[in-house]
Amino acid sequence: MEAFRTIEVKRSIFDNNDRQAEQLRRELKEKRVFLLNLMSSPGSGKTTTLQRTIEALKEELKIGIMEADIDSDVDARTIENMGVKVIQLHTGGMCHLDADMTRQGLDAMGTGSVDLAVLENVGNLVCPAEFDTGAVKNAMILSVPEGDDKPLKYPLMFSVCDVVLINKIDVMPYFDFDLEKCRENIRLRNPEAKVIPISAKTGEGVDAWADWLRTEVNTWREAR
Amino acid sequence: MHELGILDAMIHTIEDVVREEGAEEVERIVLDVGELSGVVPRYLEECWPAARYKTSMEETELEVCVVPGIVKCRDCGRIFNAMEYDMRCPKCEGQQMEILSGNDLMIKEILCK
Repeated sequence: MEAFRTIEVKRSIFDNNDRQAEQLRRELKEKRVFLLNLMSSPGSGKTTTLQRTIEALKEELKIGIMEADIDSDVDARTIENMGVKVIQLHTGGMCHLDADMTRQGLDAMGTGSVDLAVLENVGNLVCPAEFDTGAVKNAMILSVPEGDDKPLKYPLMFSVCDVVLINKIDVMPYFDFDLEKCRENIRLRNPEAKVIPISAKTGEGVDAWADWLRTEVNTWREAR
Repeated sequence: MHELGILDAMIHTIEDVVREEGAEEVERIVLDVGELSGVVPRYLEECWPAARYKTSMEETELEVCVVPGIVKCRDCGRIFNAMEYDMRCPKCEGQQMEILSGNDLMIKEILCK
């Protein structure tokens, strides 16, 4: 009879992914590449926000964009017209990107001449929050029409974010959206998160966001 | 979809353990799934046949144990089951709490050959 044995594992389900993410971050540090993981619901304005971000920073930083979608390349084509490096990643039906897929994306894009790489994650507030992509910082966009109570409904997403952009503030008068209540709801989930209200459409607040990002990129690239 | 991605991540972690331990086949996996982890145990079980398809664990059974979500109210200190009281303190109605258990997705043990 063959011998069976029980192995006490006591490891997180995500252990393998977490290790790969740590390894990827170490390599990015070596290469002096800053990777931003940008997450949000579908339709919150990720691509428009990215366009604004590129406009604000492309003179001083070399930018590369990875667009992740379940299918299609609509977003990648929009960004490509701005003259930055861009590649499209298809997740093959998966609703998130993990560290290994992110690495493949970075390899395909080539990080040789990139200072700031942005991963536009799949539009989803659940799965991407569970999977460390190896990014240096996590950002998420919450748009005004989604409601100021969203942080209460998706606590994990808000707890893993370093910065929350509240987008579409130009339409705030038409919605029951209380900015202060929203800040408080974010703070309940994550007291450390930086909150920046913006309108990617009008450009309001984009400078504050670009300043935050510039500082983070420079700090990461300078620190040894 | 959510549960499928999680099971896929789990398979990679277990493959690491199998390699480290020099085991051959995994007969059974026992998971500890926290009530506050955002994952539905029944969906994990239902997704498992699809997740293990064409992997090294095609014959492996999955057992899911539920870990209760126990929290402590930050306002009054009451300790209670978060699911039972719908994430609100039964004593002072506070909504800020510290999670004591039930937040994690852990691989508890595996039975190997």
